[in-house]
Amino acid sequence: MFDLINPTKIFYWIEKLISFINSIFFILLLIALSFALIFSPPDYLQGDSVRIMYVHVPSAWIGLASFTCIALFSIINFIFKTKNLILITKSIAPLGLMFTCLAIVTGSLWGQPTWGTWWVWDARLTSMVILALFYIAFIVSHKFILQENKANKISSIIVIIGLINIPIIKYSVDWWNTLHQPASIKLTGTSAIHSSMLTPLLLMFFVMLLYCALIFLMKYKIEIIRIKKKNLKRL
Amino acid sequence: MIQNLLSMGGHGLFVWASFSITFIACAFVFFKTLKTLKKYEREFVKEINELSPKKRKLVVENSKIASQVLSSYSKTI
Repeated sequence: MFDLINPTKIFYWIEKLISFINSIFFILLLIALSFALIFSPPDYLQGDSVRIMYVHVPSAWIGLASFTCIALFSIINFIFKTKNLILITKSIAPLGLMFTCLAIVTGSLWGQPTWGTWWVWDARLTSMVILALFYIAFIVSHKFILQENKANKISSIIVIIGLINIPIIKYSVDWWNTLHQPASIKLTGTSAIHSSMLTPLLLMFFVMLLYCALIFLMKYKIEIIRIKKKNLKRL
Repeated sequence: MIQNLLSMGGHGLFVWASFSITFIACAFVFFKTLKTLKKYEREFVKEINELSPKKRKLVVENSKIASQVLSSYSKTI
């Protein structure tokens, strides 16, 4: 199964995928932005500030999903010792950190007109900051620990511990009294959001996912070339 | 209409700041990653070209990745 993600086999497809995403990205971005900033209606309570949701929510989703992926890959790597998964986690981590930070910053910008404050140390916001710290610890461990095996081991332990924080973030709004509103979109059950707002939200999420795929592929390609460069030196 | 779009019912500062920060961060990461990728490709191709003809032939024949980087790099320059 792991042979399917063998760098030699997929390198050709990485190049093709990067070109494909590049060709459709800007058209999709324009469509998504038009929906988010022009066509979607203002909220009856929050007015136009609700449009911040179209960057805040997808950023938070990506931040959480990236960390979950990194943790799962680290667990698989712990069991099966697949080096390629480490390359994948190293390529995802900076993206996850960026989107987690964006979720925090845009959330703060949404908080001021909605709650009347930029920041409160409530459960959801604090757990998101902790997530960002776990990302930083993961990236720093790879950057500053020179022994590769040791770096992999330590970074894996960091994300596996950090995985505990993911359900805390998800359910923090249900478990504790927070300023943050509960989830409006549910995978199971009916969502409390009108389709006129759900459409731009999903469009923006799709565009951000495409962006993530693009950056991930580029970073993954960098990691592969870096290893090949090392191998060249051994010749 | 443009004024309405800019003011966003008095929330323009917050809305535009959110979208701008997101856009700037994404653009920054994209160009930084692209620059790093080009740098690595350039260095990799340079190192292959510095090899002796025999070793270079061996690398290109045995490594699909090396041959693909070489061909894609030659297309971009």
